[in-house]
Amino acid sequence: MSIPSHIPVFFLSGFLGAGKSTVLNRLLTDPDFSDTAVIINEFGDVPIDHLLVRKGETNISQVSTGCLCCSGVSDLRATLFDLHCAAAGSLCPPFSRVIVEMSGLGDPAPLVNALTPTGGRPETLRDKTVDGIFRLSGFVTLYDIINGPMSLERHFEALKQVAFADQIVLTKTDLARDPATKADLAALPDELKQLNAVATIHDKRDIALPILFARRSYNTVEQSDEVAGWLALEAVLAADTNGHQQGRNFDVKRHGAGINTFSIVHDQPIPEKRFRTFLCVLQDAAGPRLLRAKGIVSIAETPQQPRIIHIVQHVASPPVKLDAWPDEDHRTRLVFITNGIDPGPVKEVFSSLINDSSRPFKDVIASLSRGFFDAVLVHINRIIHLSRR
Amino acid sequence: MKPFDNPLAPRGNRLLAKSADIKAWVREALALSDDTTLTITELACRDDGCPDIETVIGIFHNDKPTQTLRVHLPLGELTHADVLNAIATSD
Repeated sequence: MSIPSHIPVFFLSGFLGAGKSTVLNRLLTDPDFSDTAVIINEFGDVPIDHLLVRKGETNISQVSTGCLCCSGVSDLRATLFDLHCAAAGSLCPPFSRVIVEMSGLGDPAPLVNALTPTGGRPETLRDKTVDGIFRLSGFVTLYDIINGPMSLERHFEALKQVAFADQIVLTKTDLARDPATKADLAALPDELKQLNAVATIHDKRDIALPILFARRSYNTVEQSDEVAGWLALEAVLAADTNGHQQGRNFDVKRHGAGINTFSIVHDQPIPEKRFRTFLCVLQDAAGPRLLRAKGIVSIAETPQQPRIIHIVQHVASPPVKLDAWPDEDHRTRLVFITNGIDPGPVKEVFSSLINDSSRPFKDVIASLSRGFFDAVLVHINRIIHLSRR
Repeated sequence: MKPFDNPLAPRGNRLLAKSADIKAWVREALALSDDTTLTITELACRDDGCPDIETVIGIFHNDKPTQTLRVHLPLGELTHADVLNAIATSD
């Protein structure tokens, strides 16, 4: 099969925990997407997102560590070029569609500009190839009805992700069970229309994935004036940076130092009760400053059947037991994205709760920063209660 | 590009409402015409020793190069005085 010209590229966006991996899992097992290349982008130093999706045999899955919107246009264009070359050289299966899963903290503006031909980029062979082969075809944003409203009020990236979408999918709508939440859900499309008047809004329960990722034309002019302004300002800032750096890659950090990502890797299987205690302490102490935690955990009681864990702000999904490890690495790997929490205290609490030989927990608590210390103390009784169960 | 600080636009979202306020402050302070487009965004600050996040204001003049103002505060925390100070100290 030859590679068709103008391969459509779709962005799959959504703030942290909106359900992007869940959607990817659905489409990677859907025969309609067997011709799709997926680029998974994550914000963290230990890549685990590719483990959280089940790969179909005929699909290509590439992981780009670091945040694409921070590393600028070059990483995305380089990845697309590599995919094209690999398929042309029969080094990977051919594909006729690309889906780029953005980081939950991703700013759409530089990525949309990256797939807009021209824009003042030097006309290298790579740029000519990418511009000639790939076209931005759609921008799908998942909107979590539980955490979405708070994210929109606090994070400018979340606002932009909604504004850039041509398709918005409401997720976690099955959690709207009581009358008040159902009323909120019914009002949500009108509220989102105030941020994006042109997007089509779907309930995830009702939408067929092929419709979301059907070939179409994504035209930035048809989006709001705000979107046009953000794209124009982005181009100005990129030109300004390029001018100062004389041709080096555009490399602007977009997420403040308050946004931290860090990881914990643990070699030994962990007793399930201790791990539950750790999650409980972390979630209660960090509160909304814990933006996201996700990972794969080796449980001592069933070491061949790891657990997948997901926490989104104050909502923890029940751990999912896998039948087997998805790769050769059988270590516990956890990634945290936080706002204003240093990694040190979290790692110490983990070490104290998980390892028998580490410092006594009370010593660790005493060494923590005051805010985190107070928060942990509030839940000491809860820890004791859990440990006796 | 059309101007897009519509005073009748819905102001339900706190960040969008602040963004509209900032545009109005800049437009008034610089006596900008309606066909001058203003855009506001947030980025992490690149300068050592500055706070994490900065607000960037883009002023797209019709007859001269685009001007950018940078304020070393998150958009949600900007005050009228901060914006006036940024204008006063810009090149």
